[in-house]
Amino acid sequence: KKMASKIRVVLRPVKSILVRFCPFESNVESTRKFLGYINHKKIQATNRNCEVTADVRHDGSEPLVDVMFADGERLIMKGANLTTIEMLTALGSRCSAKELKEEQKSKKKSP
Amino acid sequence: GPGAGPERCPSAPLSAGWLPALQFVRRGSKAVTRHWKAMHFQRQKLMAVTEYLAPRPAVPPRCLPRRKETLEEDNGYARLLQRQVEEVFRDNRMIAVCQYNSMPGEDVVLMRHYLRKHDIEVKFVLNEIVRDVLSQSKYKNLLPLFVARNILLVSREAKAKEMLRVLKGVPQINLLGACIHDTILSRQGVENFAKLPSLEAAQGQTVGALALLPSQTSSLLQRGSAHLTALLDQHIRRLQAGETGSPAEPPPAQSTEAH
Repeated sequence: KKMASKIRVVLRPVKSILVRFCPFESNVESTRKFLGYINHKKIQATNRNCEVTADVRHDGSEPLVDVMFADGERLIMKGANLTTIEMLTALGSRCSAKELKEEQKSKKKSP
Repeated sequence: GPGAGPERCPSAPLSAGWLPALQFVRRGSKAVTRHWKAMHFQRQKLMAVTEYLAPRPAVPPRCLPRRKETLEEDNGYARLLQRQVEEVFRDNRMIAVCQYNSMPGEDVVLMRHYLRKHDIEVKFVLNEIVRDVLSQSKYKNLLPLFVARNILLVSREAKAKEMLRVLKGVPQINLLGACIHDTILSRQGVENFAKLPSLEAAQGQTVGALALLPSQTSSLLQRGSAHLTALLDQHIRRLQAGETGSPAEPPPAQSTEAH
């Protein structure tokens, strides 16, 4: 079983993360744990400029994670049927892919 | 050699010069044949007696009757924590549940300090303990809140405005809901509650609203006589200002008859 704290997420390409959920619903556990993990100091240390906002509602809407990347891309994860680890790995893989692209671009620019 | 017979040499190990107790006589066919040769009856008996009996596999534990798990053997520490939580719910009129995402230690201390100034205490709670307590009390609807890490902000008076102000400066604590005066509120409810005027102001507003209608009625009733008084005053002023005597008589008579 994978431990969520072992998943490394590099938040450099991320501009902002919005986590929206209704705490009185029963399908919010994974989203809340996700919020707890991205607020951890190790992940926050990778990018101090990334704003993490939590939107607590009471309108029966689904739990949602909305990630805005620095290059304009947007990732929306509906956490009702996802586990925390799935969400973290999805975000982590996209972040590392973008990091690689950035490195390649900077390598091309400065040979 | 083979002439030893069933004697045993005590000094040598068992395998050195020991012959089997039974020696088979060659009759007819040789010992090793191409066809299947029946064993000598004594050998058959020996083989039957020394047959390998596989050990019985143990019954898998799920087939056995289940032993009753002794739950009453509760942790004394857990019981103590439960008692503390029950006390918290009993003594405080405002209990706010917030999600705690890891914060640096100094920030926690600072936040505790600011909240203490408004008599709000911060309590870290364990979900299992709180779930046990809540499921047996009347606060069952708070149960779904207790997943992931939570803290309770408790206070004797419901100081929602100050609490919201402090929490605005701490982004890692997210207010989920509260139980104020035995009423469960969502985050929006807490914000609305904070915007309410104080009790004295609310009482004053109610009194004013209630007194509006009777004051309207009394002014309506007094309108007739007030009008009469105004007319008489005007008339007196006119008499004092002018010198006309005869038009003065009918107006007072008419208005007294109208009464």
